[in-house]
Formats: sequence, C-alpha cells, structure tokens
Amino acid sequence: MTDPAASSPLAGPAPEPVSLYVHVPFCVSKCAYCDFYSRAGGEALRRPFVDAALFEAGHWSHYDLLDDVPTLYIGGGTPTLLGDDLVRLVRGLIETARLRADAELTVETNPETTDAALVAALVKEGVNRFSLGVQSFDDDVLRTLGRCHDAERARAATRILRDSGAGFSIDLICGVPGQTTASWDATLEEAVRCGARHLSVYPLTVEEGTPLDAAVRAGTVPAPDPDDAADMMLAAEMALAAAGMPRYEVASYAQPGHESRHNLVYWTGGSYLGVGPHAASMLTAEQYRRVAEGEGWATPPASEPPCARARFTREASLEEYVRRPLADPGPVEFLDADETAREDAMLGLRTTAGITAAQADAAGAVEALVGLAEQGLVRVTESADGESRWRTTEQGWLLGNRVFEAVWTAEDPSRP
Amino acid sequence: MTDPTLIRNFSIIAHIDHGKSTLADRVLQLTHTIEDRDMVEQVLDSMDIERERGITIKAQAVRVLYTADDGVEYTLNLIDTPGHVDFTYEVSRSLQACEGALLVVDATQGVEAQTVANAIMAMNAHLEIIPLINKIDLPSADPERVRHEIEEALAIPADEAVLASGKTGEGVREALEAVVRLVPHPVGDPQAPLKALIFDSFFDAYRGVVALIRVVDGHINAGMKVSLMAAGTIVDVEEVGVRRPAHVPVDRLGVGEVGYLVTGLKDTSLVKVGDTVTLAKHGATEPLPGYREIKPMVYTGLFPIDGDQYPELRDALDKLRLNDPSVIYEPESSHALGFGFRCGFLGLLHMEIIKERLEREFDLDLLATAPSVEYHVYTTDGEMISIHSPQDMPDPGTVDRIEEPYLKVTILVPPEFVGAIMELTELHRATFVNMQYLSGTTVEMHYEMPLSELIMDFFDQLKSRTRGYASLDYEVTGYRTSKLVKLDVLLAGKPVDALSFIVHKDKAFARGKMLTEKLRGIIPRQMFEVPIQAAIGGKIIARETVRAMRKDVIAKCYGGDISRKRKLLEKQKKGKKRMKQVGTIEVPQEAFMAILKVDD
Repeated sequence: MTDPAASSPLAGPAPEPVSLYVHVPFCVSKCAYCDFYSRAGGEALRRPFVDAALFEAGHWSHYDLLDDVPTLYIGGGTPTLLGDDLVRLVRGLIETARLRADAELTVETNPETTDAALVAALVKEGVNRFSLGVQSFDDDVLRTLGRCHDAERARAATRILRDSGAGFSIDLICGVPGQTTASWDATLEEAVRCGARHLSVYPLTVEEGTPLDAAVRAGTVPAPDPDDAADMMLAAEMALAAAGMPRYEVASYAQPGHESRHNLVYWTGGSYLGVGPHAASMLTAEQYRRVAEGEGWATPPASEPPCARARFTREASLEEYVRRPLADPGPVEFLDADETAREDAMLGLRTTAGITAAQADAAGAVEALVGLAEQGLVRVTESADGESRWRTTEQGWLLGNRVFEAVWTAEDPSRP
Repeated sequence: MTDPTLIRNFSIIAHIDHGKSTLADRVLQLTHTIEDRDMVEQVLDSMDIERERGITIKAQAVRVLYTADDGVEYTLNLIDTPGHVDFTYEVSRSLQACEGALLVVDATQGVEAQTVANAIMAMNAHLEIIPLINKIDLPSADPERVRHEIEEALAIPADEAVLASGKTGEGVREALEAVVRLVPHPVGDPQAPLKALIFDSFFDAYRGVVALIRVVDGHINAGMKVSLMAAGTIVDVEEVGVRRPAHVPVDRLGVGEVGYLVTGLKDTSLVKVGDTVTLAKHGATEPLPGYREIKPMVYTGLFPIDGDQYPELRDALDKLRLNDPSVIYEPESSHALGFGFRCGFLGLLHMEIIKERLEREFDLDLLATAPSVEYHVYTTDGEMISIHSPQDMPDPGTVDRIEEPYLKVTILVPPEFVGAIMELTELHRATFVNMQYLSGTTVEMHYEMPLSELIMDFFDQLKSRTRGYASLDYEVTGYRTSKLVKLDVLLAGKPVDALSFIVHKDKAFARGKMLTEKLRGIIPRQMFEVPIQAAIGGKIIARETVRAMRKDVIAKCYGGDISRKRKLLEKQKKGKKRMKQVGTIEVPQEAFMAILKVDD
C-alpha cells in the first residue's frame, strides 16, 4: 500500500507521530495516597479549564505537532467529573488534532462519576477505551485508601463500561496496610470476571506529603509491608496469566492485542505532548526546536553527543493555567543521544518485550546487564528469528528499581 | 613597649552558651577596636564551625585600648579561650597568660559544671576573678539566685558582680572598669633573660608557624635568635606584633605584653602550647611551669568512603595538623573498610570537629568507626602494649590483664534529677564518690568512671535524661585494671573488623544483643538474607537476621513520572555511594557508630 501524498514532491515531509495527553485536574475528593495534581471541587474552573485546554491544543497544532496522533489519553484527576464539558473537550480535541483512523482514544474515570449516559455520549464522540480506577473490591481497603466510593459502586461502573461497547481497563492497588491475601485474591477474581481486557496492578507507594504519608508517620496506619506487596504482585501475575491476561509491563496486564498503546509510547521513547497543568511533554530535539524558536523558549544546549530529546512540564496551578494556558514551561530537561539510549533501555526493561542486544549496547549497559543477570534479575532470550533480547525476570519485576537503576546509571567504560 | 602598669591581661571564662563570645564582641565595639560597620557576630571565632555551633575552638588574643573613668588609656589584652572540656589544657595555658578573668555566668542558667571547672582553673592560676552575670536582659533572668550560687558554689564574693548583657551592651563598660581596677598589672623583670609563654599557635601559608605569646620577663624583638625550651627548637624571630585583631608589627614586646611571634617554621609540632620562649644564648635556665605534652584521649578510624580518596585524606590530615598539632594519626588498614587512618583526638567534640573540617575544607566523604580509648594491655610475658584500636588487641590467651583510663567526673544538676543521674551512671560502670548541695537548686555529684564509658554517648544521654539541665566536667586520673573483652561482629558469617569493640565482660552480652538489634534496623535489606552475629573469642552471643529484600519497585511510570523516577534512582544511587561495600553487603555509615547508641 502506498500513500500517494507521501511520494508527491509537493507534500513536504511526512507528519511525525505525536501522542496527545490531556490532564484534567478535578476530583470528587482527594484519595489518601494520591500525589497527582488534581483538586476536589473547583466547579467554577471546569468550563474555563476546557476552554484553556482546547486553546492550548489548538496552539500546538500550528507547529505541526498534532498532524499524526496515534493515541489520545484524557487522564487526571477524574475527567468524567467534567460531565458534558468532557464531551465538549473530546469533540474539540478531535477537531483540532488529526487522529489516526485507528487511534486509541482513552478516557480515565472513577466509579463515582461513571455515568451510563455520559459514557454513551463519549463513545459516540469516538472514545474507544476507558480506564477505571477501581483499586479494590474490598470496602475496608477502599476506606484505608481514602476512596470516595465503595465496592458496589465500582461493580456498577464496570457494568456500565462493559455494556458501553468500548474496551476498558481497571486499576488495582496491592500491598495496602490491612489488606489480606484473601481480600486480594477476591479482588483479582472479580477483576478478571468484570469484562476488563486490561489491568494495571500497582503496589502501594507512600508518596511524600500525602495524607497517607502523614498517617504512616503518625503511626495511625502501618507502613505498607514490602513482603506482602511482593506476594500480591506474584499472585496477580499468576491469576491474570491464567485468565488470559499476561503481563506486558511491570504493572500492566492485558489480553493480547489490548495493551495500552498510549502507555507503550511512554515506554518506547515516542513523542508525546501534554496539555493542561502539570502535564508532561516529550519531543524530539527537532520538534522541540521548532516550538522553542516560535515561543522564545530556551533552546537545547550544544552538547556532545548532541541533544536528542526534550521533556518539560508546565508546573502552573489550575488558576494560572486557566488565565494563561501558554506560559513558559518549567525547567526543560534535555537528553543527549547517550542519555536517550539509556532511558530507552531502562524503560524497555519495564516491558516484557525487553530490549535488543543492539539497544543494550547503544545504552552502554551491557556490563550492568551482565551483573544483573548474575543476580537473576534479567536474562538473555533468543527469539525465533535469532534476535537476542535482554528481558526482566520474575524476580526482576519485584526488584525493578535495581534493574532500572543499574541501567540508567550505567557507566560505559568505553566512553570518556 | 607599653608600661606594664598600664597593661591588664584578662580572659573571659564561661560554661558553653553563657554568652562569652558575644560579650567579647561588645568589648571590641566599645573600645572601637572594630567599627560597628565591620562587626560580624563572634568576631574572635573565625572558623565556620565555631560560628555555626556557637563555640570557641581556637584561643585568640586581641589588644584593645580603653580610656578608663580615671582618664588614663589602658592596654587591655583579651584572651578568648575554648569553652569545652576537650580543651582543658589549652585553657589552662591561656589563663596562665593572664592576671585576671571575667567569670561569665548566664543569669538564667546559673552556675554549671564548666563554670566551676573554669573558676577552679582560674583560681589555680592565681587570677583575680571578676564575676559577671550575663544575659540580664532576658525575662527569665534571676541575677539574685545566680549571685547566691556563685558565692555558694565557688566561694567567690559576688555582691559586686557585674550585671551585663552581651546582647544589649549593658554593663560592658562597668566590666572593663572592674578589669582596670581589680586585675593586677603584670609584674616581671625587664632586665632578666627573655621568658615568654606560648599559649597558642597556628599556621599561616605565607609566614609559617605563628605563635601567640605572653612575655613574662625580658623582651623579644625581630632578629633575635630564640629557643623554644621544651621542643628544643631554635627560631630566628622574623616579626613580633600585636593583634588588633589584624596583625600590627611592633618593634618589641616587653614585660606583660601579649602578641604574636612569626617563626618562619613550617612544622607546627615544633611550636608547642605551654612551651617557654627564651634566648638561644644566655637564656633562662628554668622554663615557665605547667608545660605538658598533649595526649589524645579518644581514637577513631577515619576511612574515605571512596577508597581512591586515601591519598587526599593523607594530604588533608597533613594540612590540618599544621593548624592543630593535637591531632595525631597513623595509617590503619581494615579488611572491611580498606585503607584509612587511626586518629587521636583530645575528646569527642574535637573528633567531631576535625572530621567535619576534613569533609568540608577538603571535600572528602569520610566514615568514622566507633571511638576507642588507649588501653594498656599487659601480656603474660610482662610486656605492656598500648592499643588504640580493637583490631590491635592481642590474642586473649597471651593477655595477663588490661588497664583502661579512668576519670574523675563532676556533674552539676538540679536536685530533682539526682535519681536520673544515679541510673545513668550505673549503666556506665561509674562509681559514686560523693555529692553535695551547692545551693537549693544545684547538686554537685562526683563519680569515678572509665573514659570508655564516657565516650559511649554518655553526654547526650546525660542531657536528654535531665532535659538539658545537667552539666559535666572530667579529668583523667590514671589507669585501672578492668575485665575487658573484645567483641566481634559478623555479617553474613564474616567478621567485620571495623565493627569490633572492647567492652567490659559483664556488659558484653547485653551490648552485643542490643548492637545486633540496632544493626538489624540500620543495615538495609539486601538481595539475600544477612545474619548479624556478635561473638566473643569465636563464641556467638547474639544473632539477628536482616531478611532478604523481595520487593523494590516503583511501578507507576508515565509521562512526567519518568523524570521523577530517574531522579529518584539517581538519589538512591548516591545514597548507596555513601554506603560502604563490605564484601557483598551494603553497610550504611551509621552502622559503624551504632555501638555508641546501644543504651537508648
């Protein structure tokens, strides 16, 4: 199949794929463990926020950054809290960005705002995937997490999504203080039966500055036990594999063909543009230069090897964002080609696909990987076509930080 | 040269934090030695560490000119002394250079242990003591009570004590008037051969070793050939001068004058505190009394975290010793920690300060092992071996007996804490001698105790058990035989030499058990199980286990998380770099100090 436009001398360069993320910073209430940027309430700012986000997306489209959008992810926060404004946001984004015909279009939601009519309206606009924050089907665990819904409401939400015709994923949290193996097994069992084709399983992390952090420090909630979390991660891996949803990333499981394409962009070094307060963007050096020149932002520093990527986050508050959607980004992180290779290797090892021998070599991480292999955290496998890849092992998933750290901080003796 | 009758040499002595340095600042301002616009806090404490900690480490001398109420201009030499018990000998030499002392007592705290110790030292040096009650501007000041305490505890008449505030400057002039009126002027023989006391020295990169001196008899001037009697050093005097506080050269320093002497020497250890300067030819036959060789009290191993920094550490110690000859060091090697130095210090504070200075001024990352004292080990064939490190302990089969240094300890404390002190001293093998009430609010308690117990976190414990009210002073009285054993710690079955320590036999089991428990909390989980054992002579007396780490993963990683996560990994890596790799085990630095905290 050939695209006639691509061979035409008048067509210019082929559009570059850039995924689009929109951060919706509103929630019904803040959960105890969450350190994402979002706010409870803020009704008056919802409509202005959607206006600002659409304005921002429109602005970036002028730099040809949204001409080939393979995935769109509207996350948060709780996007479905926006109600009709969310429908307006989706519609506006579709008008602004050139989504691929087969684009993955995900909306994040939580049980308390998963409304059948809203879901239907979103599906009608083109949303083909939902990500539902269930976390647990156990009321006690939900209370510890400070969730504003109970298990019954979560079940109802899964039914709405199952009936909507769109695919959906659910998030679960393990290693919660007070969570028993029996509770976790029951949650896993419900999860595989509820119709989700994708599951994310996170061991609970106590983030600094959250209410959970304060409770753990005060001793009113025990600190999560890493051994319990390890057992539960192993139980999840087994239960989900048996249910036809093998792991494809350290925390992600899916029926084959239902992996999150948007998240895979993050883990494979693809470009993404973030819209909204505290949304992160990563562009190739070339794409970034285009924007920086137009906006008067800092340009990549001269370096050897040269800059390959730039990543930045608008660290504006919601109020600031609504007032000035296009203000300068915070400090821009420039990655040179070596750093890029190391980051890709580190992220690649988060996926079951692993990385190729060539990628490991480019990252200067071969020695580090050999060391990790000796500890049983990674291994070399050979695929049918004879290509050898480094992959994370069962134990490596549990001790992922060791793997990622060793690869990211690998010092290649052959380089100065 | 100044007429000796117009000279007053005095010192300010005080317990730590009673406001000595601030008071000195006010004196410098009042006499226009330093103009207000050039004033910084704690002028005489020039080291960062001194200012940050609010303590004086190095002695200082400054000459100020003061026109008294009688209309005469007097030359006052203010000699600022270190306030901490680690530096008792230095203080005694500084006092020897004076005829009087302002004894500063905090109007809210009253008399404390070092107030007593310093006052006694000043009395022994036959100084005229002028009590000064400081911080009277504070709302909780109680000058009447403090006056009473000074009289009761020190037998110093205090009805004419100067009431002052270093903060507001109130009473500072009165203090100087009292100095002029009460402190005797120096007396000496200008015709006799030169005799001058060295009360401190420091190294100047351009001029070599500079000594601070007090002339007792005769005079000294540039071009003279002089001898430092105890060290046997001959010096061509390059320059003499006074400190205001910048160096101002003068033609000569005569009887009673305080100033500096540029020696041009490159080796500070040739210029000893307490030594006597006299003429190289036809000099004095008798030195001034009171000279002592400085002897370290506390020893520790200092090791670079990064083994490659060993040469840098050696250079840093060489340089630091130029300014502080009381630090001694010799190479030490450890299976666990690699190459480093066994260093001797005057006390725990001195040790802490030197470690901090090495790290700061020379950009080193250092690991210190638990401090030790000097043990005298008598072998079965009658030989005596001094050991400064548990590693050097000979095979128990060859040991006849071991002696350890003992202290006379004085603790001053409000009566309600007497019970707490009894309890604490009991834990530290101290023997009660006696106690007496100095006043209704202060009890003086006397103990004998081993120095090795004092350095076991005793001071911090004392402070925390008495809500900071207790104060402490001590002096070494000699060596005594004790039943001591070497306790070894094994990680994953292998002895870690740097964790060994020497302990009294009766305490060994309890300390071993507490230490292994403590280490279990300190050593992070590794990828494999790590048994921690305490052993005496191959016999295991305690065991704990650090379970293998099973989970260490941040699972969430999208968009903006990537940068955050990477930073976290980098931080984690840095944290590991601060740890010491002992075999295959990552051991945090604090593990090597854990023994000090086992009584918590």
